[in-house]
Amino acid sequence: MKPGPDETATAEELRKRIAAQFGRSLHIRTLDTGSCAVCEQEIRLLAAPHYDLHRLGFFFTPAPRHADLLLVTGPMVRAFELAARKAYEAMPGPKVVVATGACALGGVYQSDPFVHGEVDAVLPVDVWIPGCPPSPLALLHGLGVAVGRLAEKTPSLTFVADGDGNAR
Amino acid sequence: MWFARGLRRGVVTTRYPARSDSSAAALPTPPAFRPGELTRELVDVMISVCPGTALDRTADTLVFDVGACTACGGCAQVAPQAVTPSGEFELAATARSALIKMIPIRGGQR
Repeated sequence: MKPGPDETATAEELRKRIAAQFGRSLHIRTLDTGSCAVCEQEIRLLAAPHYDLHRLGFFFTPAPRHADLLLVTGPMVRAFELAARKAYEAMPGPKVVVATGACALGGVYQSDPFVHGEVDAVLPVDVWIPGCPPSPLALLHGLGVAVGRLAEKTPSLTFVADGDGNAR
Repeated sequence: MWFARGLRRGVVTTRYPARSDSSAAALPTPPAFRPGELTRELVDVMISVCPGTALDRTADTLVFDVGACTACGGCAQVAPQAVTPSGEFELAATARSALIKMIPIRGGQR
């Protein structure tokens, strides 16, 4: 898409449409592109009674063709690139890609002949969830941000602690 | 019997995101920095112990990539006076650049 003066308005409009379409029910396909499986453990915990993501209208689906959101973990090993692209292309639009964990965000592995080092090198990422691993609460927040139900906090955080130890 | 037990003990499911969750306080979180305690030498030590690529430095700024941070606590161990857990876990961002934070280095220049 060509960047234009009304780009911000278009992005806002898209965000509203995503919230309207995905606001009540969303199906998630997880994609492990070479992670150590701890992110997967945390994702699995989302379905446990304490977090119970189904109460929020999120569901896991085993098939990308049924999925609205691709939850990608791992540093995107090059051997998985084709499968990742196929999974993304098999999803019906509109679709959202969420990069999950420090590996997927490019913090652990550098790009080399074996890994891309980050998910964004292959798939168009919409939401980034930091953490090693991101806790189920962080994942719930990230899913909320992805569908426009929860507000982002990160842009306003400074990670500067004042004298008495408070962040911000 | 299990039904009665469930009634007695209440609901175990968290109220997050409508309300805060008490278990959030126990989570490992990325560090927050005290600019007055940071010196260039100290920052270089912190960069050398960081297992990922979360920390970097320019002349007077600590560049902290929250997305690359694994909250391992290495920097807090070598510089406990300058680093404290931020307590923030709701870190999802819709732009990768929003996760890169500039921390001024103010120590040792007075």
